[in-house]
Order: sequence, then structure tokens, then C-alpha cells
Amino acid sequence: MKNIPDKNLLLFRSCLVSVEYPGIESSTKYVFEKLGIDYGISEKQTCCTGLGHYSDVFDQVSTTAIGARNFKVAQNLGRPNLVMMCATCYAINKKSVKLLNNKDDLREEINELFEENGLDHLKYEKNDLTPTENIFHFVDILYGKKDEIKKHVKYDLSQYKIATHHGCHYCKVHYEDTIAGVRDPNIIDELIEACGCKTIGWYDHKRASCGTGFRQRYSNPDLSFTATADKMKSLKDENVEILVHLCPNCHIQFDRYQPLISQREGREFKAIHLNISQFIAIAMGADWESVVGVQAHTSKIDSVITELKEVES
Amino acid sequence: MTKNLKIGVFLCECGGNISDTVDLDKVRQALDVEVIEQFENLCSLNGRKIIRDAIIDHHLDRIVIGACSPISHEKTFQDYVKPLNPYLMDMANIREQCSWVHDDKEKATKKAITLINASIEKVKQSDEVNPIYCQTPDEVAVIGGGIAGMNAALSLARQGTKVTIVEQSPSLGGHMAKIGKVFSPVKIAEECGMCLLNPILNDLVWNENITVWTNSKVINADRRAGTYNLIVEKSPRFVDPDKCIACGKCTEVCEVEVPDDWNEGLSLRKAIYRPFGQSYPEAYVIDPDACNKCGNCKRQCMMNAITLKQKPENVPLQAGSLIIATGHQLIDPNKRPDYSYKRHPDIITQAELGRITGVNGPTKGELLKANGKVPKRVVMIQCVGSRDEKPDGHKHCSKICCSVASKNANIIKHKYPDTDVVICYTDVRTPGMFEKYYKHTQANEVRFLRGRPGEVAVKGDNLIVRVENTIKGEFEEIEADMVVLSTAMEPSEGTKEIAKILNLGTTEDSFIKESHPKIKPVTTDVQGVFVCGTAQDPKDITDSIMQATSAASKVAEYNYGGVKIEPFIADIDHEKCQLCGDCLAKCKFKALSIVDDELFLDPMSCDGCGKCLTVCQHGAININGNIDEKIFATIDGVLSKKEDDERMILVFLDTIGYTAADNIGVNRLKYPESIHIIKVHSVNRVRPSHIKHALDNGADGIFIGEFPGDLMYDEVEQKIERVKAQIAKVNENPNRLAFSKVYIPYFEGLARKLNDFDRQIENLNEIEGV
Repeated sequence: MKNIPDKNLLLFRSCLVSVEYPGIESSTKYVFEKLGIDYGISEKQTCCTGLGHYSDVFDQVSTTAIGARNFKVAQNLGRPNLVMMCATCYAINKKSVKLLNNKDDLREEINELFEENGLDHLKYEKNDLTPTENIFHFVDILYGKKDEIKKHVKYDLSQYKIATHHGCHYCKVHYEDTIAGVRDPNIIDELIEACGCKTIGWYDHKRASCGTGFRQRYSNPDLSFTATADKMKSLKDENVEILVHLCPNCHIQFDRYQPLISQREGREFKAIHLNISQFIAIAMGADWESVVGVQAHTSKIDSVITELKEVES
Repeated sequence: MTKNLKIGVFLCECGGNISDTVDLDKVRQALDVEVIEQFENLCSLNGRKIIRDAIIDHHLDRIVIGACSPISHEKTFQDYVKPLNPYLMDMANIREQCSWVHDDKEKATKKAITLINASIEKVKQSDEVNPIYCQTPDEVAVIGGGIAGMNAALSLARQGTKVTIVEQSPSLGGHMAKIGKVFSPVKIAEECGMCLLNPILNDLVWNENITVWTNSKVINADRRAGTYNLIVEKSPRFVDPDKCIACGKCTEVCEVEVPDDWNEGLSLRKAIYRPFGQSYPEAYVIDPDACNKCGNCKRQCMMNAITLKQKPENVPLQAGSLIIATGHQLIDPNKRPDYSYKRHPDIITQAELGRITGVNGPTKGELLKANGKVPKRVVMIQCVGSRDEKPDGHKHCSKICCSVASKNANIIKHKYPDTDVVICYTDVRTPGMFEKYYKHTQANEVRFLRGRPGEVAVKGDNLIVRVENTIKGEFEEIEADMVVLSTAMEPSEGTKEIAKILNLGTTEDSFIKESHPKIKPVTTDVQGVFVCGTAQDPKDITDSIMQATSAASKVAEYNYGGVKIEPFIADIDHEKCQLCGDCLAKCKFKALSIVDDELFLDPMSCDGCGKCLTVCQHGAININGNIDEKIFATIDGVLSKKEDDERMILVFLDTIGYTAADNIGVNRLKYPESIHIIKVHSVNRVRPSHIKHALDNGADGIFIGEFPGDLMYDEVEQKIERVKAQIAKVNENPNRLAFSKVYIPYFEGLARKLNDFDRQIENLNEIEGV
């Protein structure tokens, strides 16, 4: 088990979270505060380039340079532990640290670019950060506080049928750092267990992609939605009511496109989609609108969670 | 004292090979020694007479032979200098490293004088030393009683060696006993495994030289003076094998049932049981984890063979050599959760299929699913946990699975021609004669599909194998009612444990590592320990047997030949040694250990590299044979002949580098006369003080070459970097010191490097005005 920090964290903001489901960020902050995790946010931080990078808009040099800039922002704040809310940001930043540490040519090229543009202060020195010690997804941080979570759970959600969807860019890219299973990913399942609920565990296509594939959703919609539909059908076969995510990309694919896929497949899919931070926030008793941000969801949360039962103490 | 030594120099003309280029008359005039003689062929028996007579007549103390390379004739001249101690002779290589690499007669003669002078100075520092003869005890312990261990033991026993087999399970036989049928590439048929195993087992049982300890494992080991002292933990069988007649009445009355591991847990056995029909010892055994001590069996046994109260005992075992044959296990199929092994009873492993199709298996050989029906389609998945870079996988190919899958597919096809069998493979690896077996399998209408399935889904009663057919480039979903996983071979727990106990080097997958993968396939990095079978890497029965008999033959070399060791190894002063243990970790040859509060050096392991000396703060370790002083003397011997405008480059090489340098001469390539090659036992013995001494006393450059395969290579490379930094600190040019890789066949490269280095030093001299 790697060393999971609980202080000097920079909560790395995500474009998709901010634009699509701001409740993920407010829920993460809410849960972090409950758990006494020391984090900060910086308005100097920029987008990781992920969506653009995977759609061939930004090349690796630009992406890594932007990474180097963001790493410097974190270091200058004294918060060198970057914590991502989006699996794409996680994989992109981890890769950038690896490249900056191991590819001397690329690091020098980027540092020269900084120098030419009067940005000497952004220069990255080899091993400024280490991919395993400084780059995290927030599920890692929560996993480190699993036992603590139990103490703050107010509502019992165990009556619902819950399944998990683990983002590819958390599980399948830097798998040497992935916690609680790569081929049978279970980190969200274990966090849900910490809230006193049981998930259905393994289901057919559990490991499969959500189908987004970045630009694939737009340039190859048939392939993209077939992948999503395969997974939705399998979840429907298991009568799953809540699908819990760790990445806003997957979240969009399932939540926003569920009505479309229902239409396409001629079968009604009615599950609701929550980020794991939102799930825990609900269990901890957060306000649905101001914290969980349910108003941004297409599949309405209260269509499934109709009442909250307090945990018997 | 050295001043009074009487030195004799003998020069060889080598039939003109030397004397045509080197003016030996001039050489004789230049040297001031007690005796100097010259002969056309010094290595001939007449040469021996000349040398011996001179030694006796002139009471010579030290001898220098100016002739060919010591690689060619050192042994000859060590013999010719009798009655002198062989190590009081040194050879100056004036053929391969002088007359054959230089054309200018005058310069070659000058260099020959320098080389001989260096040898004279060196030999003055030589002490009488004797080779060390090691004889290890003949007794051998074979750890592991599978097919490899059994064959190794049998081979040694037939040569008259006493062997003890230490087997952890209650019976000999290992994996082979379970296999059912084995593949045979030549006969293109599947043969009965037990029928092949049983004669070996019988031979072994009846061999008086073999003792078998079952239920036993090594828990501790140390080695002293070539003898291994093992502590073996013998777990109780609770049934006395000498009394038990294997009637089986005890089993009938036993009420406890547990999964039968011999049948891969597919059937049940009692708490008192016989592992399998032909198990040895031919006796029942009680499984202590399952037994409830009800006493039914004890009351039933008419031979009074059962004792329910027995405790494990620790027994010492002494052996001169060990053969490790602790074998493999198969990877837990749950490490590929995507293949749903635990989610459906008809997703099984090849090992389980082997038991199911075995006539002595749980279904008496019938291929049946959990519901008792014959499967209509069996899909086999290859490389489960092999060739897998992801966490929990193994990077290696398990080597036998292509043949195993083919074998089991053929067995199915033979009995159930209507059952469709599909093998999903990554690559089919059936080398040599096994290719015929692969073709035979194809001819049997077993289907091969190239693609590594992503997952196996359970849909009601059906299994869906999702795979990309990489030949067609299409995604396929194959419906099956049985899926068989070809699980990877990995080292057994016993293999990992014994490697730890004996401090054996292992591969990244924890197999026991041989000391050289190409030419030393059965020795390990610990002297006297040999490895065979699947403890070393994945292999089939045939290869296991070959390696086992090879290991036995290596042990026989020790037992019959003894081992003669060059004396230039470490020597411990026990009075000074404080047992701090600093040297232990530094020894790459694992030659040092602390036994009974005393530092012990294994002469068979020590390479004489001298690393231990440098870390010993108490000066308690020395290397026999005055090596340090000899290197200083050789350096002085070369440099004392330096003239004002002469460039002197010293090249230090060990046997490998020196042989490469000889090859330059043998192939008549050239390098400058400034190059003076000094042979050292280990390059690591050239210490920073030697380098400094040489540079301070007129050496213009120093070149050190090392074979990258040498265990000390990294160490030496780092040392040179440190010395370079020190040179730079005192404002001298670190480029006067060079370090390079050397290889025997790459002598052209070495010649070029020596030429380049000479030019580099020439330039430096010009710039610095030396």
C-alpha cells in the first residue's frame, strides 16, 4: 500500500466537474472537511488539457508544459500533493510527472520554452514531484480515511441496489498505483462499504469503459453508445438503482445519455448516477442542493432515493 | 630481504616468433640478474631441463619466463620450475603483447625489457603459496521429491552417493503423479503419466543409497568448510509407515471429509488417507488440520500403526552438496477475476481438467460438467497469468501450456468427438518436435483462435468468452459450456522459502536463478547448491529430468574430483575481527558468513576481489599472496625503465580482458609501444592508491578494462568515477584514467580503444606541455 497523505493537498479543479456537476467538487470539500483533511484550492491552476489532448488538439509537449506549470503552482502553495476529481486529470498529470522526471530531453525543451518566454520561475527540476507520492485521485485519499468515514455516516443507504463504475483512466493507465484492484476494481465498492452499504460487486462488463472515448462520443457515436448500452443492459439485468462513479466523463456519459440510450435500445434504464463523493456526502447528511448539487443531474436523484433513513446507533 | 633474492630469467625465441622482432641479445645485456638463459623452444622438455638445472645449480629463488602469454603456458612453466613453489614464477608476455603487436625492432626490444623488468620486480614480491584443495562430504540432500528431485537422487545413488530426499508432502511424486496423461511429441500420443513415473519410484525405493524423508522441510541451513548443516522439521504422519500395511480400514471408519488436494479439490477424502494409489511411503497418513482425534481409526487398526499424539521434531542433516528441486505451483486463477473462475463451477484450470480426464480422477476419466452432462463446447484460454505485464501477472512464458492445452484437447476429442474444442492463444509455442504434435492437434479438429480473451461472462447456464480474433481483426463472443484456463507456472512456496534460507539469487518472478543462463544452467550463486526442475524456470518433464541428471553430475564432479582453488583469496585474522558483519553484505560472491561467533570464509566461493578488505575497519582481512605489493612492484618495474620523451600507459586487465588483448596479437593487429598490459587477478584489486602511485611516478595514462558480466563490474565502474573525481580535485586531468568494457571476441574494439587512448594521452601531453 502506498503512502496516502492527508495534508498539504491541492484539490485540483476539473473543467467537467465545474461545468457539468459542480456538486462533485462541493461534495468532495464537504467530505474532506468532515474527515479533517488539509486541502487547498488555487485559482491559478489551469485545465489539465485532457479532453483536448485526447482529441489531438494539444500535443504531449504542451500538455506536459501545462502540467509543469500547475505543479509549480502547487509547490509554491506548499501543497505538493495534487488530488484530482477527474480520472482524466489524474492520468494526465501522473504521466506528465513521469515524463518530466524521466525524459531529460522533454524536460529541457519545456524549461527552455519557459526561459524564452520569461517564465523562469516555472522551471521543473527532475524529481520535483514523484508520480506515486504526489499525484492522487481523491478516492485514494478517501481510501486512506476509510475507517474515519464510518464515524460520520448519518443516513443508511443500504436498501438500494448499488453498483460501481471505475474510470479507465484511474484503473487502466497507471495500474501500478491503482488501489484495490485493477482487473477487478473495487476501490469505490470498498468506500461504499465504509458507508455501511453493500454493492452488487462484480457484474458483467464491470471493467468495461463507459464508452465516452473523448471525441469518440461525437465522431463515432454508434460505437460509443454501444459500449455504454452493453453496460447499462447488464446493470438493468441486475436491477441496479444507483451507479456510483469516480470520473465526471463517465458520469456524463451515463447520466446525460441515459434517456437517449433507453430510446436507442427500446428498454427503459432508470438508474441514478452519483459520484462517490456525492454518495458519501449524502450518507453524511449533506444538503442535496447546496452541497450535492442534485439539480444538475439529468436522472433525478429523488427518483430513486425517496427517503433518508437515519443510521441506528 | 628482497634484495638478496637470486633471480633467473629464461627467454624463449619461440622459433623466431619472438626473436625475429625482439633483439634478445640486447635484452640479456640490459638485465642484471643471477642467471639469464635463452632457448629456441622453452616450453619443450629440453626447456624444462635448462630451467630446472639452473634453479638447482644457482640456487635460484625466483624465476621470470620471457615468452608467450601466461594464458598459453603458465601451467607448463609452473610445473617446470619445480622444486620451486609454482607461484614464485612469473611470465613476461613478450610474444602476444610485444613481438606480435609491434614492428619496430628497436622499440619492441625496449618494450620487452620493460615487461621483463616489471615481472622481475613483481616476482620479488611473490610469496610461496599453495593451491587450496577442498573436498566436500559425499552426502547429498535433495530438496523436493518430484520428478526432478527423484531423478537427481537416483542418478547420484547409482554412482554410489548417499542421498537424502527431503519432501514436504506425505508422498514422493510431485505434480507428475497428478497429471494423468503426458504429451509425447515423437509418438504423437498421450501416454500414461503414472506408468512412466512408477518404475522411477520403484528404482528409488529399492536403492539402498537413498533415504526418503516425507512430511519434512528444511527450516534452517548453514555452511561451514564445504558442509551444509541443515535443520529439517519432520511433521508427524501419525501412522507408522513401517507398521502400516495400507489396508485402508482406517479410512472406512473416519467420519471427517475434506476436499482432496490430489484431485484439485474436485472430490473428497477422509482425514486419514493415502494421497494416491501408488504413493510412497506405502502407508496412510493423518491430515492434522482435518483430524478431530475421535480415535476411530486407531481402534480399527489391527497393526497398531496409529498414534494420535505426535509432535513435529527438528532433525539435523549434513550434506556436502544440495540439489534444489522444490518445483512450482500454478497461479491462483482468481488473479484473473475477469475470467470468472470463482463464479461458475465449469470454469476450471488445466490441472483440474487433467484430474477430471484422469482415469484415477474424481469422475473416473469422464469429462462431465457440474450438472453431470458432457460439455458441447470447451474453450481453453492460454497465457492466464503468463506473458502478463499487469499487476499479479507474470512476464514469463510458462512454456508448457501450449502443449498441455493441446494434450487435453486431444484427450477430449478422442473420447468425445462431438465436443467442439477451441483454444484461444497468444502465440502457439510448440518448438522442435512439438510442432508435429500441434499439427496433429489441428488434424484432430481442435480449433485454434488467435486472441487473448478479455473476459468470460456468466449468462445463466452459458459462458460467454469475449475475444478479439486478431487474425480476422474481429470481435467475437464464443458461447461455451466449459472454459479451461491454462494457468501460469510460478515458483512454489517451498522454492521461495528455500531460496531465502540458503540466500540463493532469484529471478524477478522468484524462480531460483542459475549462475549463468547460458553456460551454467544448474549451478546457483551459492557454491555447492544446484538447482533443477521447475524451481529454476518453467519446463516440462523431459527438461526437468535432463536438468536433474545434469545437477547430479555437477555434484559428482565435486565428490570425485574435489576442487582445487587458486590461493589468492581472502584470509581472516580472527584476533582482529570484531564480527561487525560489514563485509558480509559487500561480498558479491556470498563467500562470507558468521558461524558460531566466528567469521567464516568459504574458499570455494571467494573470488579474491578484495572488496571485503576495503570495508573492514579493523584490518582483519587480507588477501593471500601479497597482491597489493605485487601490483605496486609491477608498476614500478614498468616505470623505472621510462625515458624522458617516452609515453607510458598502463593497462590493467583480468583474465578475460587479458585474453582479449592476447587475441590482438594472435590476429597481428597493432597498438602503440606505449601500452603496457598488466594482468591482475581481479580488476577490483587495482586500488585508488595504485592508480595514484602510477600517475605520480611517471605513468601518462591508465586504462582499466572489465568484462560487464563480472559480478564486480558496477562496483569497479563506480570506483573509477570516484578516483576520477579525486584526480580532478588535485587539479590533474581525470581523462588520464579510462574505464572500458572488454569482451574476448571483441579484440578489434579493444585494439581501437587502446590506439584512441594513446592518441588522447599524446594530445593531453602536448596541451599540458608534459
